[in-house]
Formats: sequence, C-alpha cells, structure tokens
Amino acid sequence: MKMRNISMRLVNSILPVLLAFVIGGVVILAIGENPLETYGILLGKSLFTQKGLLNTLHYASPLILTGLAIAITFKANIFNMGVEGQMLLGGFFAGIVGAYLPAMNPVVAKLICLAVGVLCGMLFAMVPAILKAYFRVNEMVVTLMLNYAMIKVLEFLSTGVFRDYSSGYVSTPTIKDEAMFSRLGSSKLTIFFFVALAAFVVMYFVMNKSKLGYETTAIGKNLEFAEATGMKVHKKIITLMAISGALSGLAGAGYMMSEQFKYTLSFSGNPGLGWDGMLIALLGGHSPVGVLIAAVFYAALKTGSDHINLYSTVPKEIVAVIQGLIILFLAVKFVDEHTDIGDKIKMKFHKKSHAAGREE
Amino acid sequence: MSIIRMVDLTKKFGTFTANDAINLSVEKQEIKCIVGENGAGKSTLMNMLYGLLRPTSGKILIQDKEVTINSPVDAIAYGLGMVHQHFKLVPSLTVYENILLGTELKKSSKSPFIDKNREIDEVTKLIQKYKFELNPTDKIEDISVGGRQRVEILKMLYRNVDILILDEPTAVLTPQEVDELFVNLRELRTQGKTIIVITHKLREVMELSDSVTVIKQGKVVGNLLTKNTSEEELAQMMVGRDVVLTVRNTRERDAADEIAYQVENVSTINDYGKEVLHNISFSVKKGEILGVAGVEGNGQSELVKVLTGMMKATQGKVSIYNKEITNEWPDQLRRDGVGIIPEDRYAQGLCGTMSIAENCIAGYHDNPDVCKAGLLKPKKINALRDRFVKDFDIRVGDINGNVGQLSGGNAQKIIVAREFESGSKLLIACQPTRGVDIGSIEFIHNQILNFSNQGNAVLLISSELTEIMSLSSRIIVMYKGGIVGEVSPKEISSSAIGLLMAGIKN
Repeated sequence: MKMRNISMRLVNSILPVLLAFVIGGVVILAIGENPLETYGILLGKSLFTQKGLLNTLHYASPLILTGLAIAITFKANIFNMGVEGQMLLGGFFAGIVGAYLPAMNPVVAKLICLAVGVLCGMLFAMVPAILKAYFRVNEMVVTLMLNYAMIKVLEFLSTGVFRDYSSGYVSTPTIKDEAMFSRLGSSKLTIFFFVALAAFVVMYFVMNKSKLGYETTAIGKNLEFAEATGMKVHKKIITLMAISGALSGLAGAGYMMSEQFKYTLSFSGNPGLGWDGMLIALLGGHSPVGVLIAAVFYAALKTGSDHINLYSTVPKEIVAVIQGLIILFLAVKFVDEHTDIGDKIKMKFHKKSHAAGREE
Repeated sequence: MSIIRMVDLTKKFGTFTANDAINLSVEKQEIKCIVGENGAGKSTLMNMLYGLLRPTSGKILIQDKEVTINSPVDAIAYGLGMVHQHFKLVPSLTVYENILLGTELKKSSKSPFIDKNREIDEVTKLIQKYKFELNPTDKIEDISVGGRQRVEILKMLYRNVDILILDEPTAVLTPQEVDELFVNLRELRTQGKTIIVITHKLREVMELSDSVTVIKQGKVVGNLLTKNTSEEELAQMMVGRDVVLTVRNTRERDAADEIAYQVENVSTINDYGKEVLHNISFSVKKGEILGVAGVEGNGQSELVKVLTGMMKATQGKVSIYNKEITNEWPDQLRRDGVGIIPEDRYAQGLCGTMSIAENCIAGYHDNPDVCKAGLLKPKKINALRDRFVKDFDIRVGDINGNVGQLSGGNAQKIIVAREFESGSKLLIACQPTRGVDIGSIEFIHNQILNFSNQGNAVLLISSELTEIMSLSSRIIVMYKGGIVGEVSPKEISSSAIGLLMAGIKN
C-alpha cells in the first residue's frame, strides 16, 4: 500500500516532466536542431560537470526554501500564495540592514541579516494568517493580492527612500562585504546552500516526524476530524503561516546575500522565486524530499539554459517552454486524482502489463 | 413471475470480490429484505441494479428480459427507484423543489415558467397521503436528517416507480414513523409495487418482509420466506454464529450516588441564531449509563457538539467530578477524562485517508507515551495500534494501510479502542453502533457495559431505541431542543417512549 502510494506519486511527478521534454523535443526538431543533443547539453552541463552541478546547487538554494514554504501550508490545505511577497520583503530588508550595518564580525553580520529576512517574511505572513484564523478571510485571495501590494511598496522604497543615487538604475545600496556570502572555490556555490540544506533537514523532521506534521496532515485531509480531536486549527494556521513566511524570508535574505547583493526591480527574476517555489512544491508532491529533488532539477534547467545558448543555436527560451509544459501537465495530474479517468487508464495499463508479463 | 432476476452476478474491485455469483430473484408485489453484515456486499449489489456500478460478469433480468443498466436514468426507465442511505438532495432548495427536481410542473406545457403553487399543492398532497411530517416550503438545509430521508423517500414515491429499493430506510425514524412507513410500504405493495429493503435490523425484516435473502461475504447464504424463519436463524446466517441480539443489562449493583457529570441549564444557538438547545439539565452518576432518546434533529447533535467542544454553549454549566469544563476545547476535555465516540465517525472520529496507527492516537497524540518534545514515537504508536487490533478484534486487511479500507464496524472499533484505552472517566457515545454489523454491535455494547460497571459514567445518545432501552440505567427524551421527560427503561414500553419522542405527553 505504502509502496504503491510512493510509486504513484513518483509517476505523477515524473510523467509531467517527461511529457514536457517530449513536446519540447518536437519544438527543438521544428527549429532544426537535434533534441537529444540539446537536452544532453542542458542537463549534462548543469548536473554532470562539477562546476555546473555546484552552480545548480547555488541556484537551487532559495528554491528549496520557497518550495518548502509552499509545501508546508499546502499540506494543511492552506494556500499561501504570498511566498513571493514574503520573500521579497525579507530579501529587501536583509539588503538594507546589510548595507547600513556598522563594521562588525562577519559571522554576526550575516546572522543579523538572515534574522531580519526571516522576521520580515514571518511578520508579513501574519497579516493573511490572522485574517484567516480569526476572521475567516480567504487566505488565497489575500496572499495573492498582497504580493502586488508588496512589489509596489518595495518599488517606492527602492526608488525613493533607500535609492542608491550613484547607480545608473533603480537599486538600493550594495550590501557590505561582511554581509556577503563569499563563493566557495570557482563555482557560485556559497555557504547559503548549506543554510538551505539545514532548513530542509529541520523541515523534514517537522513534516514527517513531529506532532505538528501529524496535525498538519490531519488538518489538510479532514478539517472536521482535526477540530474534533482537539487540534486547535486556528492556532495551527498561524504557526504554519509563520513557518512558511520565515522560510520565504530566509530565501529572500539568502538570495540577496549570495547572488544579488542589492535590491533592484528585477530582484526575483521572472517568474519570481516564490512562483517557482509553487511549481517545485507541486512537482515534489508537497514532501520535503520531493521538494529538494524538484528544486535541484529546476535549478538545473536554469543553469543549463545558459549553456544551450553557448553550445547550440536553440534559443534558451526553450527552457521556459519546458517549464510551461511541466506546469500544464502537473495540472493534468490534478484531474487524474479527482476523476476516475485515471483509474480507467490505470486499469488498462494494468491489463497490458499483465499481458506483457505473461508473454515473457 | 419474477420481476427481477440476477444470474451469477459478480462484481470485482481489483482482486477483491465484492459480489460472488449472486443468484437472486424478486417476485412481483412482494417486499424483499436483503440482510447482511456491513461490508457483506448488499450495497454493491443494489448499486449494480441501480446502474451506479457495472457488473464484472453475470446477468440482470427484468420481467424475464435481459437488460443492461448503465445509469440511474436507465434504472428509472425500467421502473427501478432507489432511496439511498446517503441523501442525494440539493440543500439550498426547498422540499418541494427537491421532490420535483427534473420533473418540474410548468404553467402550461409550452411555458418556460414553473408553476410554483401547483408544485406546492402536489407535494402537499403527497406528504398528506403518506402522513409525513414535512413542510413543502422548508429548505433542505434547515430540516433534520430524518426530514431529509422522508424527502428522499417521497422523491421516489412521486416518480411512481414499480420497484422501490430502500437502503437502510428506517435508520432515522421514530418507532411510530417506522410503523407508518411500513403501512405505506404495504399499501404500495397492494397497489402492485415491488419493494426491496436493505437492512440489518432483523426485527423489521420479520415485521415487514415477505421473503428475505441473506448475504455474507459477497455470497448468498440463504433465500427464505419470512414466515418460515426467525430472527435468531437470520442472525446466525449473517454472522455464522449465535449472537445475543440485545445485550441484557446485567449490572448487579446500582449506580453509586456520587455524581460524575453534571450539565446545568445549557442552552445554545446555531449559526442562524436559532435556539437549538433550551435549558438542558441532567446528571450522570458514577457507574451509570444515561440514555438520551429522541428523533434525530431534536437537538441531540447540538447537545453532543456542545458537550464535546465543537460548539459553544451560550449559557449554562458543565462539570465533571465538580471540575467545571464548560466550553472547553476537545483536547482539554480529553485531558479531563472525557472520551468521545462522535456521531459521524468519518467526519469527526477518523480520517479515512490517514493510516490506522495515525488514527489510533488522534486526540491523544499529545500524550507523553507517544509524543516527546514535539516528536512522535513511531514504534510506540505502532505497538499501541497492534494492541488495539488484537484486544478489540479489529479486522484489517493491511495493517499499514489507511482507515478508509476498513468496514464500518472495524472502523468504529478503532474509535472505541482509542477512547476506552485512554483513561477516560466519562464516555460520551453518540450513535455508537450506527451502520455497524451485528457482531460489532454486540462487542461495542459489551464494552460500554463493562466500562460503566468499572465505575465510569456513560452518556449514550442514540436514535436506536432498542439500544437505549437495553443499555441505559435511566433515559431522558429530547424533543425540539429540550428535555421532555425522564423515564426508567424497566418501567416504560418502547411505544410510550415513542410518544414522548414525538412530543406527546400523557
């Protein structure tokens, strides 16, 4: 039963990726290139060379955190769509504090910046959490809309209050050296990856082994049951949103201190790290290990896309096409779980595999 | 002539055979009861007949013609109507709208407008004909569970089907209403209709049916004429062994005088601001079982919700051994020694998509035995589960699987094990044996009796009158949110309680 569950989840996560690659391959064929060669470059350069792998892990770091931030709330059927905004706020103020910090021990400086990021993300997540827990306001709408509010607020702060006028474009001052995570060796990898990994280990225990994880599962699967057996759901909503916000803020702060070093209007890229986190959580089936794998895979696509530009005539936008297709096929999985179409297909497969087994 | 004949009808779900070569025939103008334990395959069989499931193999013949029933629409076209155990009604529509859903009466045949007045008239006539207590213009969401079932029955009666299938039709009715329903069903039979009733209440089988078919583990184990059999014989066929049909209240000593649980002047209002509980006061003594009888929808659900921390009392006081516990949260109540068997086991008692072990600790997952410093102890939890499974004879297919795979009786036993084995001093048992097979009913009843004989208090809320009568030391009767009387089960007949339940005082 358990094995079947795991294999089913695996199929549900891997099938969309394979289908996306197949259709992406058709697009590459249409351009007139060899898809296998292109995919070889895409994944080979990002996963199977030392430098490429380390770069991939570097880009995976914030994605692991945003993915976990989404996963923990989605598991309880709370939809924190505001990870992007919480991440931006955490990153922004980690950057501001990092820039205006007096000279001090670099370890302490980094800890202060990370803490500021965590705190900002957490506090910002409290707005929808309290509205949801005590006033029954739909958290999906609130968190989603607050992202746009936050982007505008940060735009105002970075173009006015905290603008670095020595820069030729809108940005905040660069953070001090003490607050920067320096590269380890020749790759882009920094200590931040290990911070993310530590957060992953903690979240693994929280989600799989702890009382909170147990209650999260119960709340997600049967709210009335959770209430009746004494899990105070409104308090859990606050706790889970706080964790989610903290992870988002940590992602933003770490990204600021290891990659961007200043806040610009395109800090988070397009789509932002928070939105990527949502896809990663879906792809990873809301389990911490799944999120870790999905984040690395997703980051590999990102680093690989640069190599495609270098080594072939396929435009790097092919990666965006593949990402879009993955989202599309992940949505198909959703249909599969809630209708019996999937069952029928499975039955067919079952029969076929039985028949195949007999032939052998 | 057989109106329905099933020949070697088989239904498999994967490797599990729910119905194994069922041969069954129903004569025209008879009342046929199909009995069997939970999970025996009665509902599967009827769902195939009604087109909700397709048979794996075998044939269905209606009026000696082989038919393929692909949907309920087909079934109704063949004159088959079904009243489900789980209601299929639109909560936001009124009673008459639900009854006429799909066959609305128009102002004229070409008019697009619904003739509301004529619809209400029609339904009022229908309601009066069958003497149901219903207001055609009430919304479904505002009426009681019992009322909803009456609408469900009326819906099929309105459609004039020839063959009426009723799945556990009497579960929510008072004895008087059951009698009325039986009168109606017999009347329908004399008008030429055929009725199939799925039930596990043997008393009703004996009273109502002409013939009876017993199903056990997906197979037919007996086709009998009711007049040639007895309750005991049927029970034995169902479970394959003799069972005590009603547990005798065998307590030697009377309850102690010490009051264990006291409820004083409790009132509450529902989400619409309507007062649904009015000045409820009672007490349960140590070693006593207090039964709460009443037709469903007269405040019992709300009373249980208030007492189990799912709803707030607007006034009044609840205390256990003189410790006030009014409006406490469910986790605190459990710490204070209140065990809870909730009304709807899959909504409040268990989570079907979580594992058996996870369900065994629900509500007590804070207990230091299974949880230390916020981390759960899987080994201890599995040991607890294994002990429950063994001690309470819970039959599980896959010990690591989900609770959803268990039959009603075995699922209920998990709740019973959990609540009894956690040091409770008071048990609030709400419909503890609803939808549970006979073997499990006997087991659960004995557990409840043992629990009270050990000097614990039990509050038993049930719509099953025989259960209340045979287990309780005292009985209070609820009607329209209040208590209308207290009686002793030894001194009162079930028909007298029935009158109280209907709000008629003598």
